[in-house]
Amino acid sequence: MEKKTKIEAIFMLLIIVILGIFAAQQAYVSAHEIPNSIATQYKGNESGATQIHVIGAQWSWTFIYANGTKSVDNLTLQANTTYQLVVTSQDVIHDLYIGHIGVQIYAVPGQTNTLTFTTPNHPGQYFFECVEYCGKDHYLMRGIMTVT
Amino acid sequence: MSTLSILIETTVILSVVFVVLAYLYYKLSTAKMSLSKAADAKGYEDSESYVTDMMAGKPRRLDWSILYMNDSKSIGLRFIFASLIFLFIGGAFGVMMRLSLTEPVPTIIQPEVYNVLLTEHATIMIYLFTVGMSLGLGFYLIPTQIKAVRDNMGNITSVAFWLYLVGGIFFVISRSAFRWYLYPPLSLQLAPYGAGSDAWLGILAMELIFIGISMASIVALKIIFLDRSKEVPLSRLPLFTWSIVFTLIMLISSDPPIMVALGMLFYDYFNPVFFTAGSHNVLLFTDLFWFWGHPIVYIAILPFFGIIYELLPRFSGTKIYSYNSGVFGLGLLMVLSELVWGHHLQNSGLGLNWDLFFSIASFAVVIPSAITVFNWIATLWTATSIRLTTPMILVLNGIIDFIIGGITGVMLANTSVNEILHGTYAVTSHFHYVFVGISLGITLAAFYVLFPTFSGGRTYDERLARWNAYLVAFGSLLMSTSWAIGGWLGMPRAVDGYFAWFQPYQVGAIIGGVIIGIGMLVFLYNIAVSWWKAPSTDMDNIIENPPEIPSDTSGGAIGGGR
Repeated sequence: MEKKTKIEAIFMLLIIVILGIFAAQQAYVSAHEIPNSIATQYKGNESGATQIHVIGAQWSWTFIYANGTKSVDNLTLQANTTYQLVVTSQDVIHDLYIGHIGVQIYAVPGQTNTLTFTTPNHPGQYFFECVEYCGKDHYLMRGIMTVT
Repeated sequence: MSTLSILIETTVILSVVFVVLAYLYYKLSTAKMSLSKAADAKGYEDSESYVTDMMAGKPRRLDWSILYMNDSKSIGLRFIFASLIFLFIGGAFGVMMRLSLTEPVPTIIQPEVYNVLLTEHATIMIYLFTVGMSLGLGFYLIPTQIKAVRDNMGNITSVAFWLYLVGGIFFVISRSAFRWYLYPPLSLQLAPYGAGSDAWLGILAMELIFIGISMASIVALKIIFLDRSKEVPLSRLPLFTWSIVFTLIMLISSDPPIMVALGMLFYDYFNPVFFTAGSHNVLLFTDLFWFWGHPIVYIAILPFFGIIYELLPRFSGTKIYSYNSGVFGLGLLMVLSELVWGHHLQNSGLGLNWDLFFSIASFAVVIPSAITVFNWIATLWTATSIRLTTPMILVLNGIIDFIIGGITGVMLANTSVNEILHGTYAVTSHFHYVFVGISLGITLAAFYVLFPTFSGGRTYDERLARWNAYLVAFGSLLMSTSWAIGGWLGMPRAVDGYFAWFQPYQVGAIIGGVIIGIGMLVFLYNIAVSWWKAPSTDMDNIIENPPEIPSDTSGGAIGGGR
């Protein structure tokens, strides 16, 4: 084998090994070991999580809690509790994003997406926003999530 | 907007268009007459074959005759200069958007206008600037590189160019606000608060652009494969030609889905059946779109990889390290580009299996990219004398920006990380690293190299050109890095206002964006002033007439296949 070809082969193998490690790690993390801080959209409601229905509309988020109360652009949750969001949309595609706890889920009209996550174990305030462009006042489609 | 103001606006636009068309027709008819006289004097039956014999394959300068001559070089010049004009329009829109974000609330630009600028910046830059520049450089350089023996379908390419141009102009005046990926049902809201009142015109304009660029691509592939001289076999095709081949195959194999989807979207204006909430099919459009939408971002950079492959040997006095791995890397990028569209749709409810498939396919894209970057670095490593001219500075900056942009990009592909970064400025920073570094930077490099030819033997001011290169490089780094930091902290993109907490990162990006704008004004000034001077050199350029490169026994012939 030529020297040039050998160098290239070693380089490619190195890249493939590094990528393989990352791919295996992320498959493992996504499918088995869900870190507490990172939400998962793939599990059903096995853990008996509290359901919250979320409806996106131009340009506000409506949250309907398990006991039937509603709130707009304002989400109040209890610390260290597992919640399941059931997300849909009234008009166009939206995307609920609570960055600091790793929650992101599309709100698609005519379709329901679910996502399970656990709130942090200490009180605090976080913001949530719509991150899928949805018309004129897209930037105002945001609010505060309070963990008590 | 009232009916009266719409009428006034339409009348003004139509009158301007009419005056411009009348002037062009006058220019065209008189020039055509002189051309046929010249052909008669040389004893030619028709002016077409005169053009083919006298012009094809020769360096071509810019003048009015490119508008009516249908040889590849003229059409290439048309595409190059039209896309440069679109670059400045789109760039101005980008800088205006940045300037509006100095405060957390909308300042000089209200949301309706901001959303139009957002849409037009992206669409102009991707569909009109990068694709137009790829086709332009392809049509301009390839007949020389493959020593074309025939050049006979120029009338079709000419139609393709005018479709592309008319589509571009219609898109700009449609003032639509559905972003470049026009997700329904938003794009079906024909109102100022939704997609814009004239968004239907934007959709027709996109369809025109797609028809134009597909026609031009097919003709370009025909030139490369059927009109090639026997002296240039496929195994010795220059790397730039290979990059154009892969780009065009990618383009014509992936744009049928979006053309069909746009047709269905247009039908939905009259009879909403396809992409409305009731059909439960809203996400179908996003799949059809991204099946094209991912390849398009590779279409926007692959030709510029080809230009880097052409420029590196010229300025480093050596051959490309490995011709074969260069072709392999570009080809593998083409194949993988068609398999990763789903990573734009993570979190939309594709499910774990598909998310993992698309995520790992996106990881695989690193392999051809790394081969390509390794090839460039190895070329520089083995170089004997590197000349740091302005194009070379831009090439080096492009390589660095591509490495940074690639690494930040592969981070986004991870499903868990994607949940935090999707829809934030981290994504914007990733593709601006790559697009400003590769698409814009290498366009400038190629333009500087080709400038003596375009201008008929004039030279640009080297000092101003360096300032342009440094300003664009620094501005891009500052802008994209501010976005990257903000994005990792959760700063959403595509917004006209933001939480005040994010202001430092926005201000960093504003300064960076304005610096890029100033850099491009320096470029414009330099070109305008240089064009004014008297010609001082010959029309040759080093891409079309490469200097002798010391021969190397291994690998294919690089450097224009000579």
